[in-house]
Amino acid sequence: MGYELRDHTADVAVAATGDSLEAVFAAVANGLAAASCDEIDDAGDRFSLAVTAENSEALLFDYLDELIYLRDVRVVLPVDHRVDSIETPSAANGGADEWQLEASARGVPLSEIDAREIKAVTYSEMRLERAGTDGDDGGWEAYVVFDV
Amino acid sequence: MTTFDADGITLERVREYVWEIPQEGDMRVPARVLASEALLEEIEEDKTLEQIKNTTHLPGITNYAICMPDGHQGYGFPVGGVGALDAENGCISPGAVGYDINCGVRMMRTNLTYDEVRGHEEELVDSLFANVPSGLGGGGIVEAGVDTVDEILARGVDWALENGHAVEDDLLHCEDEGMREGADPDKVSQKAKDRGKNQIGSLGSGNHFLEVQRVTDVFDSDVGEAFGLEEDQIVVLIHCGSRGLGHQTCNDYLRKIEQQHQGLLDQLPDKELAAAPAGSQLAEDYYGAMNAAINFAWVNRQLIMHRTRQVFERVFDRSWEEMEMELLYDVAHNIAKKETHTVGADGEERELYVHRKGATRAFPAGHPEVPSAYRDVGQPVIIPGSMGAGSYVLRGGENSMDLTFGSTAHGAGRLMSRTQAKDEFWGGDVQQDLADQQEIHVKAQSGATIAEEAPGVYKDVDEVVRVSDELGIGDKVARTFPVCNIKG
Repeated sequence: MGYELRDHTADVAVAATGDSLEAVFAAVANGLAAASCDEIDDAGDRFSLAVTAENSEALLFDYLDELIYLRDVRVVLPVDHRVDSIETPSAANGGADEWQLEASARGVPLSEIDAREIKAVTYSEMRLERAGTDGDDGGWEAYVVFDV
Repeated sequence: MTTFDADGITLERVREYVWEIPQEGDMRVPARVLASEALLEEIEEDKTLEQIKNTTHLPGITNYAICMPDGHQGYGFPVGGVGALDAENGCISPGAVGYDINCGVRMMRTNLTYDEVRGHEEELVDSLFANVPSGLGGGGIVEAGVDTVDEILARGVDWALENGHAVEDDLLHCEDEGMREGADPDKVSQKAKDRGKNQIGSLGSGNHFLEVQRVTDVFDSDVGEAFGLEEDQIVVLIHCGSRGLGHQTCNDYLRKIEQQHQGLLDQLPDKELAAAPAGSQLAEDYYGAMNAAINFAWVNRQLIMHRTRQVFERVFDRSWEEMEMELLYDVAHNIAKKETHTVGADGEERELYVHRKGATRAFPAGHPEVPSAYRDVGQPVIIPGSMGAGSYVLRGGENSMDLTFGSTAHGAGRLMSRTQAKDEFWGGDVQQDLADQQEIHVKAQSGATIAEEAPGVYKDVDEVVRVSDELGIGDKVARTFPVCNIKG
């Protein structure tokens, strides 16, 4: 469970696994942080964020896009990601027709680290799927290419 | 017929340096790769060929999708790709422009010689590094509110002129005189503007840089004279784009296309090729937003150039006017432009969205869209190399309109992934070697960036330019070599 950075000619890719959808989302986000900075210290305060989208892949895309946006406007590198909940569209979450995510991260001030810019999340070759065979709960796998 | 087998994809040789992947399956047109066999052997190593094939699925693609000699794998569209999509019946694709809208290069001349700069390199590189924001979170030359961002988006370099960051002559040496018509700031999201407002006048990181260079060769003395270039002269090259504002704009529209034009998206083999049908509201909106982001990038490079003038004034204790620090030209290499091209056997004129992603416009002498200063010789094309190799100045070649919708390469093209580069190189060693062996002074925010951009990770820029020159799409004019380099 966790992430690996993978080779890509011009850009960088993150392959991640997790026991749950929440865990695999957080693992991809931690991969994004690792691709941005080699050594991350303990500074910075936690902040929370919420994202909604029309399906699970779009939710992953928008979550990562939001983290990159928050990095630029808060001037911090979001690290130590926690995804607290992902709600699917259902009567149970008040009849919402969108997927909803609630997460938090610690923002390390960019002035304190040598971070480099990941420009954007891409849909190119993106995968988000259940690991293992049918009926066997092997958790989740994701693969995301970022533009550097 | 000579063919080249690239792991499942067969290319047929049309003529020297022109290879074709014939139309098959859902491809709407053939794909072409412009390369020598040596470059083709590098191009086949990653997914470039598959990506250029995928590009031929876009509705309205005209003649063929083209991969330039420096092509390499990107996302969706390959880097080094040119696709001309019909502006009436085709589409416009944010993914085929790329995240960094109007990423590009400008070159500024000086009248200094290399000898005059020698001995000042350390001072110069330190002062440039201290005064030109780079890296992540380094701020910008101008801190602005959203109102200012809107003005920049609407007016481009004209805004910089009014606010003392440019002179009239700078506008005359920039494509579209530094102001893209049809820019619509209202189509750029608040999020994009919020990201852009503290990055106006900043290099960013990755492969972006500012380099002081010396001219080592002038291959064509007439054109060299028209461009104001001579051997031993010092020039400055600036490579960067529209920063977070452009990146956000691309993503915003990719998501809108996904939500509004799923039918078109379903026809495409890669979601990242997402396109809005020509004539749709979304296509108009994206074009307005992209044009605004183009203006933002021009202002970004303009502010950095003007700041560089001030740095030179301090280091050399002379006014920049006295050092004749004038803009030679500014080229975009991530862009889509509505252009009129002659297509087909009957010479029909058609309006096309010409997408150049990692490719440079290269209009020949006489073309009405070449600025009057260069119309007799052809549009200047600036090809940055890696920090240990030279860069080139070309001029648009006379075959470019027939072969490539008026385009050529944009750089050396990457060969090695960033992760592999960091395993093979250590930033400190690369920096030391460049200083000791080649007298190139490099300063960067991050050692990792130096490793990732080490000269060994790039293709041979000489070979890329040789193919461009042989094809007559971009002719060699001059070669430059780095003296000082700053990056993020």
